[in-house]
Amino acid sequence: MVNYMWDNLFRREDQDNEVQEALRQTYVFKSLSKKELRFVQDTCHVRTFKSGEAIFRQGEIGVGMYILLRGSLEIYVDQMPDEDLPLKSQLVTRLRSGDFLGELSLVENNSRRTATAIAGEESKLIGFFKPDLLEILERQPATGVKILLRLSEVLGRRLKETTLKVSELKEDLLRMSQKL
Amino acid sequence: MSLAVSQAMLKRSNRWKLVGLLSFLLSIFVVLIAVENLLVSTILALMISYALGPLVNYLERQGIGRALSTTFVFISVGVILALAGIWLFPYIGDTIPRLQADMPRFITGVGQFISELEVRVQQVAGPLTNFDLEAKVESVLTAWTRDFFGQLPRFVKTFFTVMVLGPFLAFFMVKDGRSSLRMVLGIVPNHLFETALSLLHQINFQIGQFVRARLLESFIVGVVTAVGLLLINFPYAILLGLVAAVTNLIPYIGPLFGALPAFAIALVNGHSSLGVFLVATVYVTAQLIDAGILIPLMVAKIVDLHPVTVIVVIIAGAQVLGILGMIISIPVASTLKVTVSTIYRHLIDTRT
Repeated sequence: MVNYMWDNLFRREDQDNEVQEALRQTYVFKSLSKKELRFVQDTCHVRTFKSGEAIFRQGEIGVGMYILLRGSLEIYVDQMPDEDLPLKSQLVTRLRSGDFLGELSLVENNSRRTATAIAGEESKLIGFFKPDLLEILERQPATGVKILLRLSEVLGRRLKETTLKVSELKEDLLRMSQKL
Repeated sequence: MSLAVSQAMLKRSNRWKLVGLLSFLLSIFVVLIAVENLLVSTILALMISYALGPLVNYLERQGIGRALSTTFVFISVGVILALAGIWLFPYIGDTIPRLQADMPRFITGVGQFISELEVRVQQVAGPLTNFDLEAKVESVLTAWTRDFFGQLPRFVKTFFTVMVLGPFLAFFMVKDGRSSLRMVLGIVPNHLFETALSLLHQINFQIGQFVRARLLESFIVGVVTAVGLLLINFPYAILLGLVAAVTNLIPYIGPLFGALPAFAIALVNGHSSLGVFLVATVYVTAQLIDAGILIPLMVAKIVDLHPVTVIVVIIAGAQVLGILGMIISIPVASTLKVTVSTIYRHLIDTRT
C-alpha cells in the first residue's frame, strides 16, 4: 500500500513535469516564466482518450484548444459530394505529440469545430479552454495578455497561410479557365 | 476512419463514467440534506465566497498569493464585522427585551385596530359580516409570539453554528474552490467535458453576478431604510433596516414583508397620520431608489426570467424551504435555466 502510494506520488510528479515541459514547448505559452507556466498548469486539464475516441467532432461548438502530450491524432474533414449522398470523411492530417489544435475556439464566440479529431492510439492531451483563459486574465492579467499576444500571432499566421492558399487556388482556376 | 476501440465499448465506458459522476453528485446532495445545518451553511458559504471572491482576485492581481490574499480578506472582513457587532450589540441587546416586552401591547393594539375595522365593516355591510376576526387574529398572534420566543434559544444555536460553519466553508471555497472543481471535472466523461466546463463557467458567472448585485442592492435598501427611520425618530430603526435588507432579497413581495413590522408599530403606537405617512415615505423612497436606480444598474438582465415565472418560482421555493426557499429560489431557477438551455444547445449541436 505504502509502495503504491509512493509510486503514485512520483508518477504524479512525473506527469506534472511532463505537462509543464509540454506547455513550455507550445508556441502559445513560450513567453511565460516558470512561475507563470505553473499557474497555467494549475488551470488547464489533462485528459486521456482511448484509441478511436473523438476529441471533438466537426460542427460541434468548441470552447478551447488541445495540446497533444502523448499519442497521435487523426484529423478528418467531412465532405458532402452530393446533397443526397451521406457525408464522407477525409483524413487531412495526423498530429504528433507537441502539436496543438482548436486554438480558434479560445477567441471566437460559439465557434464551431471545422474538423473532427480522433485519437489514433491511446493519447493524453492538455485541454486549455476559454473559461481557463478568462480565469488567468482575471487573476493574473499580465500572464493572460502574454498568452493572448502569442495566440493572435498564431491566428494571424494561420490567416496568412489561408490567404496564400486561396490566392494560389485562384491563380490555378484562372490558368485552368485560360487553358479551356 | 480506423477505429481501434469499438464505438460500443467507448459508449459503455462513457456510460459507466457518467454513472460514477452522477453517483458522486447525488452523494454530495444527500450529505448536504442529511447533515444538520450543512445545507444552509453551504448556501451562506457560497454567498460569502461570491461576495469576497473579487476582493481576493484583486489582491492576487497585485502579486499576493491566493492563500495569503484569502486569509487577509477574511480576517479583514471578520474584524470589520466584529467591530460592527460590538457597536451594535448594546443596541440589539437592548432592543430584543424591549420588543419582547412591547409585543403583548402590539398584539392588543392590532386587536383593537381589527375590532374597530370590524365595527366599520359591520356599519357598511350590515349583520351579514358578524364574525369575530379580532379574537382569531389575537389568538394566532399570541401563539406565534410564544412560539417565537420559546424557539429563540434553538434558533440562536443554529444561527451560531451556521455563522461559524458558513465562513469556514467559504474560506476554503475561495482558496481551493477552483482546484476542487477541476478535480470533479476530471471524472466527467470526455464527450461531455467541454459542455460541462462551459456550463459550469456560465452558471458560476451568472450566480456570482446575481449574488453580488442582490447583496449590494439589499445593503443599500437597508441603509436607506434605517437612515430614513432614524431621521424621523422612529423606534427600532436599525433593526427595521436590517429586516428591510434581508426581506429585500425576496423579489417583489419581500419589500412588503419588510415594511409590515414598521407599519404595525406605527399603528399600535398610535402614530399620527403624518407619522404613518413619513414611515410610508421612507419605505417608498427606499423602493424607488431600488426600482429606479439599483435594479436597472445592477440586477436587470442578469437573470432574464419572466415576472410570472419569478412569482411561481418564489411560491414553489416558499413551499419547499420557507423564507430561505424564497431567497434562493431565483438563483436556483436561473441556474436551472442556464443548465437546461446549455444542455439543449449541446443536444441540438450533436444531432445536427
